[in-house]
Amino acid sequence: MEVASRIYDVVTNPQNINHDSIREFIPCAKGDKLGHEYWRRVLRCASLCHDLGHLPFSHAAEDLLPEGWNHERLSQEIIMGKEFEPLWKELKVQPEDVVKLALGKKKCKLEFSDWETILSEIIVGDVFGADRIDYLLRDSYHAGVSYGRFDHYRLIDTLRILPVSLKDSQEPGLGVERGGLESAEALLWARYFMYTQLYFHPTRRIYDIHLMEFLKEWLPEGRFPTEVDRHIGCSDNEVTAGMWKAAADASERGHALAKRIISREHFRQIYEPSSSDQLRVLRPGKHVYDGLVAQFGNDEVRRDAYAQKGGSYDFPVYTKAGYIDSSLALSQTLSKVPTFSVDRVYVSIAIRDEAERWVEKNRERIITEAIGEEH
Amino acid sequence: MENFQRASILLTLNEELRRAGSWAGETHMQKAAFFLQELMNVTLDFDFILYKHGPFSFDLRDELTFMRAQGFLRLEPQYPYGPTLIGGEKSELLKQAFRQAIEKHLPKIRFVSQKLSNKTVAELERTATALYIRLREPAEVDRVERLRSLKPHIALPEAQAAVLEVEQITRDASSMRVSTGPLGLVG
Repeated sequence: MEVASRIYDVVTNPQNINHDSIREFIPCAKGDKLGHEYWRRVLRCASLCHDLGHLPFSHAAEDLLPEGWNHERLSQEIIMGKEFEPLWKELKVQPEDVVKLALGKKKCKLEFSDWETILSEIIVGDVFGADRIDYLLRDSYHAGVSYGRFDHYRLIDTLRILPVSLKDSQEPGLGVERGGLESAEALLWARYFMYTQLYFHPTRRIYDIHLMEFLKEWLPEGRFPTEVDRHIGCSDNEVTAGMWKAAADASERGHALAKRIISREHFRQIYEPSSSDQLRVLRPGKHVYDGLVAQFGNDEVRRDAYAQKGGSYDFPVYTKAGYIDSSLALSQTLSKVPTFSVDRVYVSIAIRDEAERWVEKNRERIITEAIGEEH
Repeated sequence: MENFQRASILLTLNEELRRAGSWAGETHMQKAAFFLQELMNVTLDFDFILYKHGPFSFDLRDELTFMRAQGFLRLEPQYPYGPTLIGGEKSELLKQAFRQAIEKHLPKIRFVSQKLSNKTVAELERTATALYIRLREPAEVDRVERLRSLKPHIALPEAQAAVLEVEQITRDASSMRVSTGPLGLVG
């Protein structure tokens, strides 16, 4: 909420609005003080509510929601629910407005004005969203690593709402003044390093898979509840306590899977495609995984395949000369931020040595056969 | 559609757009994929909403990033227009693997590429939004008026021209579908 509020105050400051087309839709730039205060309140509420629907351990086990549900829908249900009605009345905000800004256009089917679109981008935007700025700094601090740190004060001070006139269009978008480009570069590189070094660290990722397997067995009917009170009653704490209990008692549901996590008996990475394998076949990880499963069985092998989502780092930059340019044209480094993906295969400790020997012996054959299959 | 097969169609769309003279940035890919899916009935399974410069799919945006991560596409800064998307180091591998699917869809991909390749982002926004209205809104809606209500910055003559152009493209697409037969996806 604090980061989103800072961004709002900077981008709506009349001194920071450089174009008439932008003034037209910003309330305070048109002298609408009530509108300005209203949307500031909505934005702050939406920032607070943005992650209300998150499940225990965040995204790790979202697949265990019933069909058609995700954490954004849960957030929406909570914001629009009866429990929050008195709060919205007291704050004099419309819950639909909070939902729009909290979820953004990607997840909310309501119709958005340009102004609402910009405000939602302040929270959930791909490049400068307060959510991203906040989680990089927070995760970096709590994990004890420096990768996620960057000068967010400087970045926020230079954020602007700009027309994307570079592309011959009047549509507004979030961009930066030229002086903030290096801070934006630092943010996007920080994000890349946090993904490669922390979020997608092989050991951290296998624990997501193990956690999901445990939850599937431990949760009633293998699913998270979607009723608001039951959702709120199932936090990290309840799951952690349940996992310790299950690990300690062989008669408990999910005992073996809980023990795997508590006793750090996680599966070990055995294969990650070399650059040579990647250039020869489309899905080297899948072929090696299939081979290992055929040899050792499903229970002993896991695969983790993921590719980065979101857009490119193309945003408008307001130059000192007063024109707007593409970040990718001005920055020597942004177009070189790698797009991140993983394709890893893991095996249980019990078969690790044997599986390593097997991969060493069979990898070339598997890849060669895969070339024939794919073509 | 399996991701890799869909990626092969998008890669071909990118190549055909560039061959027809487009700088083939993400906006061109978004609008061309919208025409390919909605007008030419190539099932790409993207959910388009009105957002950045008209019809926009977040799933398609993710797919283009996935394709860059896989080495099927890469970004190349193109001064002063912003980045263009071009084939990556694994683009040939992908095309070889899905030759049949690509061949099957090529006439429709070329049709869309030729219709849209020379348009600026503002022109694409008008034309694609006009098609969106034509396909998603009731037939009795005044399309010019609706286009201007959705995109107030579009001038009346431009909105009228966009609506007329979409009618023409739709007629051309229908006659093309008759001559080539229905194009589904390769199973």
